[in-house]
Amino acid sequence: MKLYVYIIRRLLLMIPVLLGVVAITFALSHVNINLLISEYEGRIHTAQARQAVINALHLNGNFLEQYLYYVVAVFTGNWGYTAPSDIDPGSPVVLEFMRRFPPTAELAIVATLIMVALSLPLGILSAVKKDRLVDQATRLLAMFFYSIPVFWFGLLVILIIGPGSKIVPPWLQDSGTGQLNFQKYAIVLKNGVYTLAPWAVQGGLSRPTGFLVIDTALYGDWPAFLDALKHLMYPSIVVGVTSFGVFVRYLRSSMLETLGQDFIRTAKSKGVPEKYVIKKHARRNSLGPTTTIMGLTIAGLLAGVVVTENIFGWPGMGTWLYDAAVSDDLVSIIATTFVFTIIIVIANLIVDILYAYLDPRVRLE
Amino acid sequence: MSVSQNKNSAGKSEFMRSLMSRFESFKRTFYFLTRSPLAVTGLIITIFYILLAIFGDFFVRGNPWTMVQVLEYNGQYIYNTPLPPSSTFPFGTTYGGYDIFNGIIKGARVDEGVAAIIVITGALTGVILGSIAGYFGGIIDDIVMRVTDVFLSIPGLVLLIAFMAILGRKLEILVFGFIVIWWPGYTRIIRGQVLSLRELKYVEASKAAGASAFRIITKHLIPNAIYPVFVQVSLDFGNVILSLATLDYLGFGFAGQNLAEWGNIIGLATHGASGVLSIENYPWTVTIPGLVILIFVLSLNFLGDGLRDVLDPKMRR
Repeated sequence: MKLYVYIIRRLLLMIPVLLGVVAITFALSHVNINLLISEYEGRIHTAQARQAVINALHLNGNFLEQYLYYVVAVFTGNWGYTAPSDIDPGSPVVLEFMRRFPPTAELAIVATLIMVALSLPLGILSAVKKDRLVDQATRLLAMFFYSIPVFWFGLLVILIIGPGSKIVPPWLQDSGTGQLNFQKYAIVLKNGVYTLAPWAVQGGLSRPTGFLVIDTALYGDWPAFLDALKHLMYPSIVVGVTSFGVFVRYLRSSMLETLGQDFIRTAKSKGVPEKYVIKKHARRNSLGPTTTIMGLTIAGLLAGVVVTENIFGWPGMGTWLYDAAVSDDLVSIIATTFVFTIIIVIANLIVDILYAYLDPRVRLE
Repeated sequence: MSVSQNKNSAGKSEFMRSLMSRFESFKRTFYFLTRSPLAVTGLIITIFYILLAIFGDFFVRGNPWTMVQVLEYNGQYIYNTPLPPSSTFPFGTTYGGYDIFNGIIKGARVDEGVAAIIVITGALTGVILGSIAGYFGGIIDDIVMRVTDVFLSIPGLVLLIAFMAILGRKLEILVFGFIVIWWPGYTRIIRGQVLSLRELKYVEASKAAGASAFRIITKHLIPNAIYPVFVQVSLDFGNVILSLATLDYLGFGFAGQNLAEWGNIIGLATHGASGVLSIENYPWTVTIPGLVILIFVLSLNFLGDGLRDVLDPKMRR
């Protein structure tokens, strides 16, 4: 089977999953219909307002009709409005999503990089030195970080790096929450005159990409860049370190399986040095199967992201979900659930295609 | 008459024999388990925690909010100031004068009880659905597997928060939400096992002898496919406890923040004060309950890992 045929088949397989996900979010948003209606009504709980909301959301039709309207709305980007509050009149969910998604993506990408950078050498080392001290220590370490409560680990990190800490030097300490102290960098001293920084616009930083580290680097504001890096470092370490245990476990068993195969013995017996056997023969073959669990690992990682964002005050999707759940903002809860799920579905798709590309045998099934 | 009698006695001896052989295999498993020091450590700590959950209530009486009655301690007004560990409060107190030691003992029963309910119901659902999907195959298998695909792509914690926020913060909602998340894993495990088992000769023989599908599944397939589920249960028990503590820490647990639960105690320390940073002055309010969770989950994982090594014949060699 050609690769593009496989990709098309894989995309077709995605359709039932997508419909199922939409069905779940539909069920979640329509199971407590009073919550949905009261969110749109605002403060005016009158019969007319209720009827207006019901008409606008097509809540009076039969089940199938409602589902159809829902599916059309989801796929046309009509995701409703966030709940209004005293200070916030409520905005389209899609706009809020555009604002919240980049920080989460930034955190998740860096955390994934940390996770892979930690687990690749450890997993291979632990398989090569099976049952030796290194192996036992690695397995113990992986299990330790696998069992640690993410929120507790985040709090411990805050205890260690908080202002006035005696454990780490001051330049590693971090105060305040969120991504950056904008007031600190918005006004710069230029030729003896205080002026606004080039990126400072009303309401904060002008964000070409939304990724804080990339934005500050694009504007060439190096102090702000370093500060952003410091703010990004700790939460991503927390997420990356707490999710690398599963990956190491799979990599080790996959590597052990590869090392026990005939072609490894052949390579060894014909005199290939141990280093090259591991690097060229074993590692490549064991990485393939490990990519398949990447989707599940990312699901676990995103759960860690939700908690870590809450602890570090990171203004991403997790914080959005938390705020929405606290204030009964049903539309935002559904939107975040949907987006997180779509991220995992797409991650699974990419991983499967990557695996099919790396290992052509998969395409034969 | 004689035929039925014969059948009866044969059934009994067969039952005894199967019981004996199961006991023998359990003894062998247990022997191999005791070969691994980590697994033994895990087993001992797990048993200790379970005993704590069952009998802890009889030894530590009263409720964790002792300070409401004892407003003064060593001449200090301590209603709202956390106290460091001392002989009166072995683990110290947290905000609102909450006795951490008492809370942890009370929380053991809540945490482990809820986790046990969740894991057992989730495993049961998964075993039933997985064995049906694996045995019948075809369209049933396809439907069940597509549904597990959907549920496996939803991050568990996110769905749980959504459940608790939308349907109400109640125990039954929590358990239902957890089952929704946890059944696909078990379904996949048992389906994979059943798929390989149903091709074996004894299943075929049983089918040829006219056994019903129900009998084949309950008598031949599930007993032989169940061992990986045991491993997964012991690993998932820890995961459920972690998720439970996380939910309660975030404030989306059942029964609110006054419930004695391990995650809640940490939540009290961070949400009860002016913010996360104030815990720097009272580190024990966070570290001690977290350590309690960590030790239990770690020992469960040791146990599960040891069980996997023992039950997987490839690893036993």
